[in-house]
Amino acid sequence: MIEMQDVWKEYANGVSALSAVSVSIKQGEFVYVVGPSGAGKSTFIKLMYREERPTRGSIFVGGFNIERLRERQIPVMRRHIGVVFQDYKLLQKMTVAENVAFALEVIEVSRRTIHKRVTEVLELVGLSEKAHMFPRQLSGGEQQRVGVARALVNKPSVIIADEPTGNLDPENSWSILKLFERVNDRGTTIVMATHNREIVNAAKKRVLAIEAGRIMRDQERGEYGYED
Amino acid sequence: MKIRTIGRHTREGFKNLFRNGWMTFAAVSAVAVTLFILGGAMILSLNVQNISVNIESQLQVNAYVSSSYPQKHLSTLEASLRSLPGVRSVSFISKDQALKKMEKLLQSNADLLNGIGNPLPDEFVLQAKDPHQTAMIANEVRLTPGIDKVQYGQSVIGKLFTVTTAIRDAAVVFIIALLVMGIFLISNTIKITIFTRRREIEIMKLVGATDGFIRGPFFVEGTLMGLFGAVLPLAALYVLYRWLVQSVPLFPPFSLLPWASVLDKVVITLIACGVFIGIWGSVISMRKFLRV
Repeated sequence: MIEMQDVWKEYANGVSALSAVSVSIKQGEFVYVVGPSGAGKSTFIKLMYREERPTRGSIFVGGFNIERLRERQIPVMRRHIGVVFQDYKLLQKMTVAENVAFALEVIEVSRRTIHKRVTEVLELVGLSEKAHMFPRQLSGGEQQRVGVARALVNKPSVIIADEPTGNLDPENSWSILKLFERVNDRGTTIVMATHNREIVNAAKKRVLAIEAGRIMRDQERGEYGYED
Repeated sequence: MKIRTIGRHTREGFKNLFRNGWMTFAAVSAVAVTLFILGGAMILSLNVQNISVNIESQLQVNAYVSSSYPQKHLSTLEASLRSLPGVRSVSFISKDQALKKMEKLLQSNADLLNGIGNPLPDEFVLQAKDPHQTAMIANEVRLTPGIDKVQYGQSVIGKLFTVTTAIRDAAVVFIIALLVMGIFLISNTIKITIFTRRREIEIMKLVGATDGFIRGPFFVEGTLMGLFGAVLPLAALYVLYRWLVQSVPLFPPFSLLPWASVLDKVVITLIACGVFIGIWGSVISMRKFLRV
């Protein structure tokens, strides 16, 4: 599903973010990516949907060779991946329903299908009542649920999340987690970078620990393992 | 692109206009103010040109028939003048008519003319098709047998053309300068309004929208802003100009053109400029934000 082979990333300012990273993630896995701030978690995540490009190495996600992708194919690739961001990245000028619908509009689905899918997925994340509100009228937890709904609405085979609970209180964090687990139960691969020790330790899933740009630990049923 | 996507872009474009209220207001007013000045300058220069054409068209050649020329051949002479190249019209003023004119002019002093008979010659008045050819035609006329003397305002004609040509050139330069300035000002305003939306564009790209898809609503929005920005000054100019025509007393050759004869040029120019600037400003200035 996701395959990284000897990936290096050095930023233009000389900062070396990732060194010799090789990872293989299978369809249906739930993987936590942990590590200290600045260790390269975000870079690792961003490489997967090509917000950043590796300096060296190759990356495959869901059958796309990310590095060889032509400019025009980038949007096509991104439609097969659901991305959830720490800062939600919602379109402030659109309602909840329109934000979710946007991911379907870009693939030019009929309005009926859009309506049907948006209703379904908003029900799944428990926001049916707030469909016509704007993001600024929602709490942080609700906004992130919109973010998750948008990531799910395309039925992607993989969800990539960069500290999705980073701005949320424990209760909201758990509700996002519950959502991810339900989605994962249906066979969707989930890769989630996080700082949330409780969640990682409770989940007993695969844990990738990144430190100083290298994968230091890759553990099934792993623990968070840092004292923060 | 599917039809439904075009529909979607149109809906979004309209929605964006309202949801970005103040930004739309800023961009539309920048376009409107610039186009108002441009339209005003156009109307002014059209009128100045019209007046200069009016003045030029009053140039005429007065050809006096020699007193020895037989009266019965006057019509042949008129025909030969009419056949000169570049002549638009020839009219005849007989010596009797000229005398009556003179008496009118002298009014109470008309009795001065008593006793001296009629000293005035018969006269042809010619107008050139192109006022600039007046001097040339005058020379041709002078060589026509039967014509004694020719007058055409030799001393002022050169100066007049220098002035009218200068006014027209200045008007053109002025309008072009205004256009360039306006485009610069407006595209800057629109750039700023789009800059505030770069986050929005970035998000759209991360969710898998193609550049074209993101541009769609911006395109619609830009067109609409340009249209509004052109219609507003057009309405204002119409009201102002109508008031001006009605309330400012002028007499020929200094007359204002009727609104109908400036209408087409001004409307076409303003709307074309507005729409072009709107689209160009929106679509071009968002380009760099699309690289995500």
